[in-house]
Amino acid sequence: MTVFKTFLKVLNKNKFIVILYSVILVFFGFSNMQTKEENTNFVSSKPDLFLMNEDEEVGLTKHFIEYLDKNTNIKNIEKDQIDDALFYRDINYIIYIPKNFRQDLLNGKSPEIQVKSTGDYQASFAQLLLEKYIKVASIYQKMGFSEEEIIEQMNKTFDHKVNIEITSTLDTDRLENVVFYYNFLSYSMLAGCVYIVCLLLSSFKNEKIRKRTIISSMNDRKYNRILLFSNGLFALFLWLCYVVLSFVLLGDILLSTHGLLIVFNSFLFTICALTIAFVIGTIVSNKNAINGIVNVVALGSSFLCGAFVPMEWLPKFVLDIAHLLPSYWYIKTNELVKTIEKINIDTIRPILQNMGMLIVFIILMILITNFISHKKNRRN
Amino acid sequence: MHNFIYSLRILFKNKILIFWTFAFPILLGTFFYMAFSNIEDSEKLDRISIAIVENEAFENRQIVKEAFEALSDEEGLFNTIYVEEKKEAERCLANDEIIGYLFVEEEPKIVVKTSGINQTILKATMEEILQMESIIQVKIEKRMQESLEQGIAFDLTQDFFKQMAMDIRNAFEEEVSIKDISSSHLSYTMIEFYTLIAMACLYGGILGMTSINQILPNMSHTGKRISISPASKGKLILSSVCASFVTQLLGIFLLFLYTIFVLKVDYGNKFPFIILLAFVGSLAGLSLGIFIATCLKANDNLKTSVIIAVTMLGCFLSGMMGITMKYVIDKNVPILNKLNPASMITDGFYSLYYYDTFDRFYMNVGSLLLFALLLIGFSMYQLRRQTYDRI
Repeated sequence: MTVFKTFLKVLNKNKFIVILYSVILVFFGFSNMQTKEENTNFVSSKPDLFLMNEDEEVGLTKHFIEYLDKNTNIKNIEKDQIDDALFYRDINYIIYIPKNFRQDLLNGKSPEIQVKSTGDYQASFAQLLLEKYIKVASIYQKMGFSEEEIIEQMNKTFDHKVNIEITSTLDTDRLENVVFYYNFLSYSMLAGCVYIVCLLLSSFKNEKIRKRTIISSMNDRKYNRILLFSNGLFALFLWLCYVVLSFVLLGDILLSTHGLLIVFNSFLFTICALTIAFVIGTIVSNKNAINGIVNVVALGSSFLCGAFVPMEWLPKFVLDIAHLLPSYWYIKTNELVKTIEKINIDTIRPILQNMGMLIVFIILMILITNFISHKKNRRN
Repeated sequence: MHNFIYSLRILFKNKILIFWTFAFPILLGTFFYMAFSNIEDSEKLDRISIAIVENEAFENRQIVKEAFEALSDEEGLFNTIYVEEKKEAERCLANDEIIGYLFVEEEPKIVVKTSGINQTILKATMEEILQMESIIQVKIEKRMQESLEQGIAFDLTQDFFKQMAMDIRNAFEEEVSIKDISSSHLSYTMIEFYTLIAMACLYGGILGMTSINQILPNMSHTGKRISISPASKGKLILSSVCASFVTQLLGIFLLFLYTIFVLKVDYGNKFPFIILLAFVGSLAGLSLGIFIATCLKANDNLKTSVIIAVTMLGCFLSGMMGITMKYVIDKNVPILNKLNPASMITDGFYSLYYYDTFDRFYMNVGSLLLFALLLIGFSMYQLRRQTYDRI
């Protein structure tokens, strides 16, 4: 009980840092939430656009603007801020409609249009839309139609739509939020565990305290067991808090099979984080160095394994390195669960393999801890 | 001079301090590089993988067929696999080998798994082809009407139809004159590295704080001894501060070398201005450290924590943890970023990188200088004639 009480004391003193990591998790988990309605219908993506019209808004020019309005989001931005908006991807595309836009189209000339583009998917799509309009307009102009007729024919043409069918019945948006939260959790969990466990172990390693414990009547094994137990209890408590928080933030989707798989996966990861913390705690004894180590370990593995930046965006060489880190297998499982339509033996096999890798890491870390502490004890 | 050298030695011997001011920014920069180097490439339009079910109905839609053939060549938009059975296409879609497939029954139909930009592009392309068909229809009708009016017999031969289709196809393939005038400096991940420099500049405040603490009588025994010595206090402070400033500049210099040569960060090509900004930014960091060291009556750890907290909050607001944060603040609460030194530094680099004019840059440098002078002035006021009867 004495050991456990001391543990609580140290924890209480440093609760601030753990709360900080948790607040970061909640903040990012929450800020990333997209509150879209459940959709089983196809929703077209609309690029964000800024229009600078120098032509009179009549006839074809007016029609062009209406066409863009239907297919894109035209944003209202102060003129002196449009360059910033483009840089920060608030808009994807800027179209400058020249003064003679309407006249050029009606005279069969191709108007020269200036654009600014971010060069991404959305911008490419905006460009497709722009090109299509000018092509169709000039085809009809060449057929000899008048302006009104061109507009009428174009409206008819653009009314031709294709049937589109969506096969996925998965609620991908909400699952996406769950996976983002749980991926981010790997950072908070790892940072929290390593910080507290290291601090605790180094507090108990203080020479005077260590000597006092050795001469006390307490059995060494019991002492170690209680230490292990209290740290485990802390990790479990942290995990429970995070899971409860996720229920509050994300709702009942966590009770689906997909959600439960992710929750279970995070439990495995918690144990893994705990064992990693033990390895580090056994090696390091300088209290001042802990903060640096926590940052390097937690930030490093989170950046490399895709906790902050989605895995599909990471370069290949980074992912290759990440194979050596447990966070990679944890996050990979979450990403896999997100895409599985129906859970059966075939689809669950890769998930079980990843979880198996986590268990291998846990065993490995325990072995390393034992090895190091054994060596240290001998030296003493 | 004597004190200057000693201060330098004390600073360099403090390993934890050196880690936070020298190694940590470099390490964080490496992480940023690893995580962000691919983001912008993966946002560029790549070829989209789709499948087409090659049934009889599809073969009969001549225009659709030809259009997709043209779009699927080596430089085309789509990477198309032709399959014979609908089942095969379904299997590919389920395994995420394709983003959607085209299936022609009476009318063409597109089947996708979810909504998204690639799917939208597929849909828009298919619609464009259907619209092309409708244009051909319009053209034929118009021709028929014209012939009728002129009293010429009109017969719709296969050749005529093909010619029409060809004309329209060519019209669709014609280039539209679009001139892209966007800046070539559009890489927004650079902001991450700029916030990193800002962070390093402000972390330098810890160095300034440590060296001031050395000579404050209420912080350590050494401080007491120093302050009863006959040495001039102004000289002592100045030399300590200089020592920490030199250390800080060295750290920033190393960080610049590393980010430019190893991580290939693009700071633009206005080199003297970059150095000026780094210098002024470091000065702002230093003044923050001195200000906190003199005005906050607390122990070393608390002072350090305050500097770290201020720095991290500043970096957060200037976009370190999410680039859009800076934009959101700039747009909605501009005053906040005008007061935030991290944001001034970041914005200074950003304006050098993205804008051709210097107004915004000078504005940032000016406000950083003002920030530094105000804090230093206030600290001087606090330190003046500080004496103790007993301590």
